[in-house]
Amino acid sequence: MPDKEKLIEDHEYDGIRELDNPLPGWWLMTFYITVIFAVIYFGYYQLFGGPTLDEELSAEMSSIKAEQEKTEEAGELKTQEDYLALVSNPDAIAKGKAEFMTKCMPCHGDKGQGIIGPNLTDDYWIQGDGSIPAILKVMNEGVPDKGMPPWKGVIPADLEEDVAAYVYSIHGTNPPGAKAPQGQMIERR
Amino acid sequence: MSEGRAGNAAISEKIYYDDEIVKKFIYATIFWGAAAFIVGLLAALQLAYWPANLELPWLTFGRIRPLHTNAAIFAFGGNIIFAGIYHSTQRLLKTRNFSDFLSNFHFWGWQLIIVGALITLPLGYSHGKEYAELEWPLDIAIAVVWVVFAVNYFGTIAIRRVRHLYVAIWFYIATIVTVTLLHVVNSIEIPVAMLKSYPVYAGVQDALVQWWYGHNAVAFFLTTPFLGLMYYYVPKAANRPIYSYRLSIVHFWSLVFIYIWAGPHHLLNSALPDWAQTLGMIFSLMLWAPSWGGMINGLLTLRGAWTKLRTDPIIKFLAVAITFYGMSTFEGPLLSIKSVNSLAHYTDWIIGHVHGGTLGWNGFLTFGIIYYLVPRLWNTNMYSQRLMNWHFWIGLLGILLYYISMWASGITQGLMWRAIGENGQLVYPDFVETVMRIVPLYYVRFAGGVLFLAGFLLLIYNVWITIARAPRGEKAMAVEVPARSRDVTDIGTGHRKLEALSVIFTVLLFLAVLAGSIIEIVPTLAIYKYLPQTAKTEPYTPLELTGRDIYIKEGCYVCHSQMIRKLPYDVLRYGANSTLEESMYDRPFQWGSKRTGPDLARVGGKYPDMWHLRHMIDPRVITPKSIMPAYPWLAAEKIDYNILRKKLSVMKMLGVPYNDEDVSNADINAEKQAAVIYEGLLTQDPSLESVKDTEVIAIIAYMQSLGKKTSQQGVATSNK
Repeated sequence: MPDKEKLIEDHEYDGIRELDNPLPGWWLMTFYITVIFAVIYFGYYQLFGGPTLDEELSAEMSSIKAEQEKTEEAGELKTQEDYLALVSNPDAIAKGKAEFMTKCMPCHGDKGQGIIGPNLTDDYWIQGDGSIPAILKVMNEGVPDKGMPPWKGVIPADLEEDVAAYVYSIHGTNPPGAKAPQGQMIERR
Repeated sequence: MSEGRAGNAAISEKIYYDDEIVKKFIYATIFWGAAAFIVGLLAALQLAYWPANLELPWLTFGRIRPLHTNAAIFAFGGNIIFAGIYHSTQRLLKTRNFSDFLSNFHFWGWQLIIVGALITLPLGYSHGKEYAELEWPLDIAIAVVWVVFAVNYFGTIAIRRVRHLYVAIWFYIATIVTVTLLHVVNSIEIPVAMLKSYPVYAGVQDALVQWWYGHNAVAFFLTTPFLGLMYYYVPKAANRPIYSYRLSIVHFWSLVFIYIWAGPHHLLNSALPDWAQTLGMIFSLMLWAPSWGGMINGLLTLRGAWTKLRTDPIIKFLAVAITFYGMSTFEGPLLSIKSVNSLAHYTDWIIGHVHGGTLGWNGFLTFGIIYYLVPRLWNTNMYSQRLMNWHFWIGLLGILLYYISMWASGITQGLMWRAIGENGQLVYPDFVETVMRIVPLYYVRFAGGVLFLAGFLLLIYNVWITIARAPRGEKAMAVEVPARSRDVTDIGTGHRKLEALSVIFTVLLFLAVLAGSIIEIVPTLAIYKYLPQTAKTEPYTPLELTGRDIYIKEGCYVCHSQMIRKLPYDVLRYGANSTLEESMYDRPFQWGSKRTGPDLARVGGKYPDMWHLRHMIDPRVITPKSIMPAYPWLAAEKIDYNILRKKLSVMKMLGVPYNDEDVSNADINAEKQAAVIYEGLLTQDPSLESVKDTEVIAIIAYMQSLGKKTSQQGVATSNK
């Protein structure tokens, strides 16, 4: 205890004494600064028109949407013919299969035979005509009424086409335990 | 002491302190401490390796996590608080406790409540409100025992022989008064059965009241009483004077006044109105200095005793405890800043933060106090200083492993959740990817817990041997105390005078904690009247309500939130931000505080019923890397339709727009809806006959209703 510190004379509780030290200056300064900051912060956001959380979110979402649209515009529309090269590319099919096994397998089965979702290997389609662009559309946008979630953004963009090509490639494999046909019969061209 | 008693100073009497009650609370602290740590360890292991629940419903994470938190806070924490308060107050006030009967009623009542928790929580009887999970009969028991404690305590103050109340006692009074207020207000509920009730608050009201309670359980159960203990045991163990009396005054009043406002920082970026969020944040920031006032007074009291840090394990425990207090109370305000919180909330960072406080501050202070008290109460020396040192180092290493692994886990996962690529899409859209990354850290955390428990086992052994070898048959020692005197004239001025006027002190304290409570809570109680009625919100169907109660019973809320925050990466991942309307009939609210799994606010309609059925029975059929436990028992337990009329009538009484027909047909309507879901499943898989009328059907109904009850959605939508 430095010399200048004083015990307070009549403070003694079960042998515990108390010193008469002042409040530490840096501590008091910290307290003042947080109080001043609090007043300014509350004033700006609650009294003098600072942005609300809703406004901040709307602004951020519109710039994100702009980015999303920019990327989408960049990609040109492709036709079935453009994709067919993928189907004969073993590397693309392998990648598509790997992604299929993590995202699609729980509902469509490990061989596309159908469990919760429909059989993907037969000639029957509930949505679209079974072409790769049609498969991509269902995959990306989903069919919420039927319980098919949209996978856009969840299946990475650079794997979308590979997954669709893989689904296209398993047509006619007739796996064991295949689910009964659902939808329209569409013969493959 | 110049208590104005100079004339009577010669008169003294001999009394006996009641140390038997202190011993009982010490035994209970050690016993329940071991239980709380073991349950915590089991919960930690399940996050790394889910089958550690042994596939038993009552050992599964959602049910034992509330058991762990309640046991750690109220059983381990509670019992050491009571031990320390009864021990130090008698000495600070130079009187025996007011009533031995009340002391023992308090002791046994509290232990019975803990046993009640130990039975009901694993069986799934839960409010679904964190740290307030116990059902209404136990809530009433807590209120009764707490009031008994208060009567006993204020009785002791009334018969004191020391006129002025020491700072430790200010903190004890703050604890007793505020915990009463918090518990009573947060527990107002309407019973529907022996162990089932619904809170009177709904949605955002319930959220605000709950976190006003929840945060101040930290403040007035894990902070103020422990600061009181610090103010007695630190100067006693170090034999040093308190650094600054003035600092005691300023930090005490600023702490109790400011703390009570800070609750909304648990609801930042949520649907809670902006003004309440802002108050929660700025008061949390202003809390930094008042908290550090306690740390400074504690650490600077140890000045001059630093050499003991090498030789006296008690000083080591106390000094490290105060240091952890300082760290936690710096981290707390930091986490309350909205932008920091957007990263940390729902992640393991918060779990790390909490355990820095509980293991470091509450745990180590408790161990220091036990090592201080046991030799004195049993009139002997601790059996082994070496074991105390080992306990210190093993325990400290355990805390560091825990803290550091949870920082790494929380920040890693938080950054992955918020990562948005240049294409405006989430970089890690698959939730389970962000889980797989942190599972190794769950093993590190488990190792930290093992070390902390190992250290505690050394304490148990050391205390056991110490008591076994203590001299027997010695009667308690009489202490000489000044005679009671009423003719005190000079009690000082200013705050000094207030310290002598216990009733006025208590009233002022009550007003200090009431101010923030009223300003934050009262406007929210009327909030639903002022919402624009642009869209109607449908109440839950009876079957959905059944599913919701099962969701609460299984403790799903401890891992899943139902609150899509006003943050772009929440919106991209889960859909439009949640609105106040969506939870306006939710009793209790289920916004959640942790996302070990994904948010469920808009899961309704996202997947088919069959998906949910298969996922509940074995999540790994759907998500191979999922760490969620399997819930096969939900497909075996039958739905209780009979209670539904009662449930709906209570809900109707609370203002949910059910009509009389809804109530009287509740059971029939539920059976009809269950039959539709069941038939749908059966057409897809004829082997599913056994799931008819089982709880999983109700859970599916509830899951499919989430986000579908109103068209009132948030301002921002995702790219869908």
